[in-house]
Amino acid sequence: MEHLNEEQLVLHHYHDDESPVAVEKHIASCEACRGEYDKLRSVLALVDELPTPERGTEYGEQVWNRLRWKLGSERRKSRTWYSFVAAAAVLALAFFAGQLWNSRNNAPIVQQQQAAVSTINGGPAPASATKDRVLFVVVGDHLDNSERMLLEVANADAKRELDLTGENKRAADLVATNRIYRQTAAKQGDARIASLLADLEPILVELSHADKLSPEELTSLQKRIDSKGLLFKVRVVSAETSGREMPVAPQKGTSSL
Amino acid sequence: MEMTTDVTVVSRARSGDADAFRQLVERHSQPLFRVAYRMTGNEHDADDVVQEAFLRAYRQINSFEERANFGTWLHRIAINCALDLLRARGRLDRHYGGDPETAEMTGAARSEAQQERLLMSAELRKQVEVAMQRLTGNERTAFVLRHFEGMPVEEIGRTLGIQVNAAKHTIFRAVRKLRESLEPLARTTWNT
Repeated sequence: MEHLNEEQLVLHHYHDDESPVAVEKHIASCEACRGEYDKLRSVLALVDELPTPERGTEYGEQVWNRLRWKLGSERRKSRTWYSFVAAAAVLALAFFAGQLWNSRNNAPIVQQQQAAVSTINGGPAPASATKDRVLFVVVGDHLDNSERMLLEVANADAKRELDLTGENKRAADLVATNRIYRQTAAKQGDARIASLLADLEPILVELSHADKLSPEELTSLQKRIDSKGLLFKVRVVSAETSGREMPVAPQKGTSSL
Repeated sequence: MEMTTDVTVVSRARSGDADAFRQLVERHSQPLFRVAYRMTGNEHDADDVVQEAFLRAYRQINSFEERANFGTWLHRIAINCALDLLRARGRLDRHYGGDPETAEMTGAARSEAQQERLLMSAELRKQVEVAMQRLTGNERTAFVLRHFEGMPVEEIGRTLGIQVNAAKHTIFRAVRKLRESLEPLARTTWNT
């Protein structure tokens, strides 16, 4: 057998050669090839020294903390899109219903009488009431999404930095929606919802502007959420709109995606 | 107490249990980081690869066959993520960094005093890193998959989208470059 070339030695080292027994025999009997093979093996042994930066035992937890935001967005993506379209459709219907009602009932006295009769008879509510109800439902969905974001912040480990990559975009979307609902609630004289949304807005704005929160920033934000009892208020209104059971007391939320 | 097996946890994760997926993330992050780092040669890129791999795993978890090994499946995803990242950065066909000319000089033009210093393991590791940087993305990937991951050459070919012979040759080219850079060091270490 002729001397083995470099490629044959590499293939043999990785057990990728077609006749390993013959190669093995040759290496055992040929000093030159054995020398070359030893050199190759010593180089590859050095490669095993390739340094890999250390990641501590907490690495998995850190990965999870960054990841859960994104996983939450994944889960909500389709739901948010669906509810956004549904909300837009309902708002449009309510608008046209209101227009129609106004064109048919110009005199306020007639409207009041109609409303009174409807209430007494248990009949359909006037369009203004329908619009209020629509706002209530749509705000409920918005509050639901905001609650999840507040929960992530409230439950985050304040000793560590909080990565908001990807989430700040979601927060920015919530800020835009929040602004519209707050103005609408104020116009319709719903002071309670308008006030809640006004409290919520600066928190969402802060989240939308940050890529990450340092432990100090996170602690400060958690205190602001806590001091206003924001999570509790959001839960109460959110529960009212969806007909869920009311939360009984302010509490730390459980982990959610 | 024995840790719950991946099979049980994966099954719970498939049914939407967030805590189960968290367990999988915590369990597999470190090995995934190692392979990602070896392939990308960059710490931050490796972190990104780990994140992306888990995101993809989350999206595809219903397509995972429970008979298979979850760790192996996840590894494949991470390798593909790393390859995508290297492709996106145009690094598959060129070397990673550093000056190849300088890297080629390692060993040959080195004084005895320098060689002695290289015996210090930190310096040695640095030289291995420099030598790895001389490889193109394809060479590095093929080599890492064969040398560190023990992936069969046929699978490496499939992963890189090349023929088996081309995969073998890519591994060979990588080893040759590593020998050029590291053989003088290996000799010094061997003689000591």
